[in-house]
Amino acid sequence: MNDSPTDPATSGATPPTPRWVKVSGAVALAVMVLFVVLHFTGSGMGPGMHGGH
Amino acid sequence: MAMSAGLRKLALTAHVSVSVGWLGSVVVFLVLAVAGLTGQDAQRAHGAYLAMEATGWYVIVPLAFASLLTGLVQSLGTPWGMLRHYWVLAKLVLTVVATFLLLLHMQVADHVADAAARTLLSGSDLDGMRVQLVFDAAAAVVVLLTTTALSIYKPRGITRYGWRVQQRRTERAAGGVKDTAAAAQA
Repeated sequence: MNDSPTDPATSGATPPTPRWVKVSGAVALAVMVLFVVLHFTGSGMGPGMHGGH
Repeated sequence: MAMSAGLRKLALTAHVSVSVGWLGSVVVFLVLAVAGLTGQDAQRAHGAYLAMEATGWYVIVPLAFASLLTGLVQSLGTPWGMLRHYWVLAKLVLTVVATFLLLLHMQVADHVADAAARTLLSGSDLDGMRVQLVFDAAAAVVVLLTTTALSIYKPRGITRYGWRVQQRRTERAAGGVKDTAAAAQA
């Protein structure tokens, strides 16, 4: 964080959400859904795997 | 709350040091988790899990909180702000989530280390938890590499809140110019 912000000054309408934010958000959502599905089906990482004695 | 240039450099040095240290220590944790899972020698696996517990509580957890704290200082004490730019916001969310998951992950590490301390783990003992330690550590490395890349690339994009702050500043600056011009004419 040693540089200064260089975003151009915006005027008028609110700037649109950048594409990298939308793509990253979609990927994060997909990972969370996958994690929850695996967790509840017991086929992935989670409590279902803990009883490995 | 803007910091002086010297203080900013000092805070930045602290933030980079602890954040890179966090990444490095998680890589060490990952190597130990793989060694514990795949090692044929029960004594070596025993040592690996005990080392993981100590590394986790005395190195990784303190570095995670130090990274979060120094990051907050950096964002609040510089023009970047905490909620104005998407890349800063993304780093904050990733760091908070990673720290929370780390604390959950340490419960698993404790359980495996306790079992390793009582008896020599071998074969498929606690297989699920041992695999989970590898998976969690690998995921943490990916997340921390992402936060490092965000800090370096600083992808463009201003949030609605950041935009409003910028608008207010622009208006204030324009008002200041008008006042100066009016004072000069008077």
